[in-house]
Amino acid sequence: MPDIITCFKWAVDEADIRPQASGEVALDRVGYKISEYDRNALEAAAQLKEAHGGSVTAITVATPAAKKGLKDALSRGPDRACFVNDAAFDALEPAQTAALLAGVIRDRLPFDLILCGEGSSDLYAQQVGPRLAQELGIPCVTYVNRITLEGSTLLAERKLEDGIEVVKVELPALVTVLPDINTPRIPGLKDTLEASKKPVQSVGPGEAGGEFPARLQTVALRATSMERRCVRFPADDAGIRELVEALRKSGAIG
Amino acid sequence: MMAGIWVVAEHADTALELLTPARQVADSLGGPVVAVWLGRQEAPPLFAHGADEVLVCTHGGDDQPLEAQVPVLVAEALQAQPEAILVGASLRGREVAARMAAALGTGLGSSCVALRVRTDGLVEMDRLVFGGRAVQTVVCTTRPQMATVAPRTFSPAPPVEGRSGTVRTLPAPPPSPVTVVERKPKPAVSGDVAGARVVVCVGRGMEREEDLEMARRLADILGGEVGCTRPIAEEYHWLPEHTYIGLSGQQVKPELYIGIGVSGQIQHVIGITDARVIVAINRDEKAPIFEMSDFGIVGDLYQVVPRLVDELTRALGK
Repeated sequence: MPDIITCFKWAVDEADIRPQASGEVALDRVGYKISEYDRNALEAAAQLKEAHGGSVTAITVATPAAKKGLKDALSRGPDRACFVNDAAFDALEPAQTAALLAGVIRDRLPFDLILCGEGSSDLYAQQVGPRLAQELGIPCVTYVNRITLEGSTLLAERKLEDGIEVVKVELPALVTVLPDINTPRIPGLKDTLEASKKPVQSVGPGEAGGEFPARLQTVALRATSMERRCVRFPADDAGIRELVEALRKSGAIG
Repeated sequence: MMAGIWVVAEHADTALELLTPARQVADSLGGPVVAVWLGRQEAPPLFAHGADEVLVCTHGGDDQPLEAQVPVLVAEALQAQPEAILVGASLRGREVAARMAAALGTGLGSSCVALRVRTDGLVEMDRLVFGGRAVQTVVCTTRPQMATVAPRTFSPAPPVEGRSGTVRTLPAPPPSPVTVVERKPKPAVSGDVAGARVVVCVGRGMEREEDLEMARRLADILGGEVGCTRPIAEEYHWLPEHTYIGLSGQQVKPELYIGIGVSGQIQHVIGITDARVIVAINRDEKAPIFEMSDFGIVGDLYQVVPRLVDELTRALGK
């Protein structure tokens, strides 16, 4: 019966990203949500527990403001949560997140399997899963759209550019999942009520142990610029002729 | 003295593309360009395209995944201490790079779309974030500076006659704890949206699968390929998955992109930002695609596209 850890990020809701007049993007008035791909990881953990028993622990590294996300995560199936929080954790880069997760997991959370989303829906660096596996010294299987457990052997289908690669690994291991592995459940009222009774272990400032220096520094965050000519032609024969002529002049057609 | 710039790739196209920024970075920071060939096939002509040294991986049996090479690459990088490592951002490349960066205790810019060397020797890396709504610029403050670079971000480095160098074969890696039990290759696909000179893209404004024929006629007359937005491939299954364009699909760089019934969701548009000319045909005048198009026609695609085909037939003398 596997003990599963599923990692999730309390991520900026990308729908709230609006450029300022300067073209810079400000992050002070945005909403947060559980990163989309991490919902698939939470769902995969819940399904494995339904099939094989064991336990599921959700873990996140964030500022204390992410407390809201814990109940949301717990309403999606985990038995308990581990909340690694510090006011300084507001703009962690992937190397820091992975090192913090590794430190806490190593010291406090026994596991057979760690599940992560393939990347986060905000910054999508796709590093925390493989980095965490490397830090913990356990095997890593990325981009998985199907998991089968047979005792302590895990079979996974990786969906890669050139096709499907079916791989086998002995637990403990870490798996990153793709969005098409499952359809995450929508928590109901009962799930939400139960979630508030589930235990949360808080790992506070300074308790994670070790140093976690940033190795990547963000020097700018700007709105994507897509300036185009924006010429419109009417939807009649004359307009279509004008369009073809414009395409010819711009060299887009022969 | 840091020893040069590494390029790590499993695909020939990507390797030759990465040699372009690698040469620029090496010209600024000094040191040789070292190409590390991860592929199982024979390496492309890396010296001719700018590599000063080539390292070739030694692969185990068929049951060994490509990622088994990570410990070898880490050991070699610790030895050689490269200033920067650029890795082709295939899915396997992304895992390889992230694990290397963790093992080397360094930072990594993921899926970069532009690289610039600053006067202080740090490489500024641009990457798309928030579903394509913003560009994050990062620098890696530790060494080696690492980046993964998406395919087709750079043009292949031009070949130069008479260049040569030394090839070194890297030792075989230890057996991987992850073993491959089966490979199901994708069936060979006809048409290559990503490399097409003209892309006709179908969006949800198209009402029936059989109407795709209209898009095909338009693409045929322009010598192009038919692509689509994600829902057309993933929800309707009208076109294969490898033809959908956008953040999680293909990034295209055609001379001409024509969106028919495409609304212009950011996740899609991010895949066409490098198109030279963008044309939109959509019934909804408020569709965001018109804000990002060079030329637009507000109208019913069922009226406009057949007439456009006729007009192009006449104009191109076909």
